[in-house]
Order: sequence, then structure tokens, then C-alpha cells
Amino acid sequence: MTLVPGVDRDAVRDLYDEYYATLDDGDLIAWPDLFTLDCTYRVIPRENFERGRTLSTMQAESRGMLQDRVKGLLGTQVYAPRFYRRFPSPLRMVAEFDGVRVRHNLLIVQTLIDQQPGIVLVGACHDLVVPDAGRLRFQERIVAFDSEMVANSLVFPA
Amino acid sequence: MDGASHRQPQLSWPADADGRVPYWVYSDPDVYAAEIERIWYGPHWLYVGLEAELPEVGDYKTTTLGERPVIMVRSDVGTIGVVENRCAHRGVKFCQERFGHATELLCPYHQWMYDLTGALKAVPFRRGVRKQGGMPADFDMAAHGLNRLRTETVNGVVWATFSAATPPFREYLGERFWTHYTRVYSGRKLEVIGYNRQHIPGNWKLMQENIKDPYHAGLLHVFFVTFGLFRADQKSAVEMDEHGRHGILISRKGEQVTNDVTAGMSNFKADLTLADPRILDVVQEFPGEETVGMITVFPSVILQQQVNSLTTRQIIPKGPGGFDFVWTHFGYADDTPEMRLRRTRQANLFGPSGFVSMDDGEVIEMSQQGFAHAPDEDAVVEMGGTSIGNTDHMVTETAIRGMYRYWRHVMGYA
Repeated sequence: MTLVPGVDRDAVRDLYDEYYATLDDGDLIAWPDLFTLDCTYRVIPRENFERGRTLSTMQAESRGMLQDRVKGLLGTQVYAPRFYRRFPSPLRMVAEFDGVRVRHNLLIVQTLIDQQPGIVLVGACHDLVVPDAGRLRFQERIVAFDSEMVANSLVFPA
Repeated sequence: MDGASHRQPQLSWPADADGRVPYWVYSDPDVYAAEIERIWYGPHWLYVGLEAELPEVGDYKTTTLGERPVIMVRSDVGTIGVVENRCAHRGVKFCQERFGHATELLCPYHQWMYDLTGALKAVPFRRGVRKQGGMPADFDMAAHGLNRLRTETVNGVVWATFSAATPPFREYLGERFWTHYTRVYSGRKLEVIGYNRQHIPGNWKLMQENIKDPYHAGLLHVFFVTFGLFRADQKSAVEMDEHGRHGILISRKGEQVTNDVTAGMSNFKADLTLADPRILDVVQEFPGEETVGMITVFPSVILQQQVNSLTTRQIIPKGPGGFDFVWTHFGYADDTPEMRLRRTRQANLFGPSGFVSMDDGEVIEMSQQGFAHAPDEDAVVEMGGTSIGNTDHMVTETAIRGMYRYWRHVMGYA
């Protein structure tokens, strides 16, 4: 089913499959390319989001800022090794004139060395996916998380 | 109990009093319980919140001071009070919302009702029902209000204390720290821009130490050092109040340069550049050349001014092995949209995903993992010698030594 010209539901699903596989595989270098050059990326506490505030736990306004986030993770930041695995719920898609609004739930489970797995984030994603240079990319991705008292660090992107 | 419970921990302070911190201070449950009584409920002012969080009469927020739930409420146009969130009847933590607005405070269990100052106003069936039951005739409503804490609202920040012996807030800070405090909290109206909340599995004092320790800042935080935001070769200072309980790290931003200082860092990234450097678009908004003022107000809060990122970081102890850490990010009510965006952008440095603050949370967790089961061993705190005094450089742990001298005094380990 076509949502906007040239974009059907399968194409949107393929983007999400690629997105979550990229992150779960730890391929951080490839991650920013799934966003448009100018983009909005926020991983934001629900309490800020609901009050219309933009103060976020992770925030980027461009693909460059996402690349800088990756440089920090790979080059400057100190954190204990861990694995993240992301469990998205089915996607609810609504066509807009220039793209597709996608909403779904997200659960991220982390596993640290010598520890039982635990939930590091649970929330809802409010995304805008657009055709860009021959493929689909995220123009907006806002992960509004319910989880309170983050289990110390939210290391990797959602 | 576990196998270690038969072992009697050694709870005497090491002979080298100022240069050592015994690890039992971070893990012993009896020491923790004594800290809650003597420090958190003792003669110290505790951070509660910002006045800007409660603009209207009847606005309230809930938080925790020490281990006790409290409600901060604007009871009148010019008055913010703090009451314990515990019904005077049967002890219910009756207010469960984080923020709200009310004309009175009502416990849902038996509907005891208090006014916004915490005075008991109504007890249902107080006179009984059809001449049956009811409270005793001599029940004194005035004696059964909510526990009201001493409160001071100081240039937009609300402080409370459980103790009658705490000196007035300005005296508690001391004049040197009053000057530091009023640099950001000048009376200019504040505006909250958002929150971050995390649980750090380490003893609460480690967070105070972290911000009293400039030695780590120029080493652990590669992002800071690489981009010149905080470096050991910048003109800087470490100061304490006369008791050693409060501290401040003062520094000024430099540039991304390679020299003998970065040569001493095994992980310095001379060739690292940002694809989008807007995070480093810093505006000098306070008087003087300093760009960093990190204040630790003992025991409950860090007042952060790091370039244009302003936050209060509240510490809520949760047993010897962990604390909740609540970041209130703020600006000024008259900020331009550009400044608000700048503060939001720079917040990427801080919080549970921060380019620098994640390092701190992780290292605090690793610290607790390292020493929690070695209570009889000691930390070495000798950088800059073993004396306690203000310095004009960052290569020192003097403010940690100062805090523990005060801690020993309060806790009776003289």
C-alpha cells in the first residue's frame, strides 16, 4: 500500500529493520547515515516531552551531531562494556504530505558483564520518515521514555 | 546473612587521617544509618527545588530529602514551604504526583485535610456519626499538622533543614561561597528547561567527591580535555568554605592544543574534530573570565555552571550502595530562544548519556564495585600533599580531604 508517492508500508518496515539491526549489531558508524543531513534526534524523558520541553538526554540537530555522538562513544567516553538489544512494537504509520509519521513502542534490554539483563529504556517513538536521495531516512526521531531513574547510564542510541 | 556478617569491621579512622579514606565509609550499613541522622537530618541545608517550579499558589512538587518524602508547596504568593509527605494520622505518603496543583492537601485513606502550610483543617467524623465514635473531645487539631521543615528560598532556590540548629542559609554557605552562589543565583528569575533522573549504584559521597576532585576531570573526561573545556593547564582554583564541607572548582575554557599536559594523558585525541561543532558555541554570560563554576553544597547538591549549561544536581541517598541523581536543567526567564537552544545543546555533555557525565556515573559504579567488599582497606588521597587548603591549580585532592575532615567531625571519628 502506497503511503506517499514512492513509499509503501514495506519500505518503511525495511528501514526500521535496517535501523534496529544496525544498532543491535553495534554498527555505530553506519547509524548516522540513516538520518537526513538536517534532522531532529531526541531521546527525551517523558516528563520533558509532555510539557513541550526539548531538553533531552541525547539530542542532535544534524547527521553531524549524530556522528559526533558516535565519536564520543567510540573515542572519548568511558563506560563498562555492555550489549543493548532493542524490541520495537509494531509500527503505526500515518502518511503526511512529505513523509510518513511512525509511532511505536520501544523496549531496550541491556546486559553487562557478570550481570542479569535489565531494562534500560521503555518508551514511545515519534518518528518522521522521508524519501531522501534515493532511499528512506529519518528526518525526526523522538524517543520519549517512561523509564524513571535510568540504570546509571544510557550509553548507546535508541 | 552472607558469609561476611560475622566479621567485625574496623571502624577506626586510619592513622594518616587526612591522606586516607577507609572504604567502610562507603559500605557499612550502620555508618550509613548514622549519616542519615547526623548529616541529612542534622544541621545542614538540603536542596529541595527551584522557586520557578511552582509559579502559582497551590503548585506543589514532591521530592525526597535524605530518605524522607516531602512536598514543596507554594502556600502564598511569596511563600514556599516544605512539609513531610506523611499524613499525621497513620503515616501515609499521601501525595503521589511529582507535580500538581491543589487548594488543600488531602490524604486519600481517611481524608484528613491540611491547608497548604500543612495545618490540619478537617478530620472526617471527628464528632462521630449519630453520637457514636469520633475523636476524643480533647483532640487538638493544632498539634496534628504535617511536619513543617525550616525553609529558606534564596535567590530562586528552595532549601530546607530538619534541624533547629542549622544556621541561616547564607551563614551556612559562608561569605566566600555566598559570592560564588550569587554568580548564577543572582536573583534573576530562573526558568526550568527540563530534567534528567538516574540511579547511580555507588555511595552518595562519591558524587560529592567527584565534583571536589579536579584531578580526574583533566584525565577521565577526554571530551572535555580534547576540546579545551576543562584542562589541567588552565588557570583554575579549588576553594572550600571554612569547614571544608562546601567546595568549588573554578576554571576557564582553553583551546584544543597539544602540549606537555596532553602528553601525560594516555587517551588524548589530538586529531579528534567535531562534524557539527555547535555544541561548543559558548557564550560568556557571567562576569570575569571563568567559564566553569562547579559548587558542591554539602551534602545534597551540586550547583553546576559549565559554560552555558546550568543545572542543579540533587543527591538522594538510597542505602550505602546507591543514590538517585536528579538533574534540573535551567536557564533564565528572559533568555533568548538562541540561548535556550544553546543550553539544550550543551546538555549533551551532562546527564546519564552525557559526553562527560556518563564517565562519572560509570566510574562511581566501578568504584563501589571495587571497594564495597574491602572495608578495611583505604583510599589514597594524597594528590597535592595531605594538607587542606585552597589552591590555584587542579592537581589536587584537597577538597576531598576537607570534606572528610568535616565528615569525621560530624560523625564522631575525630
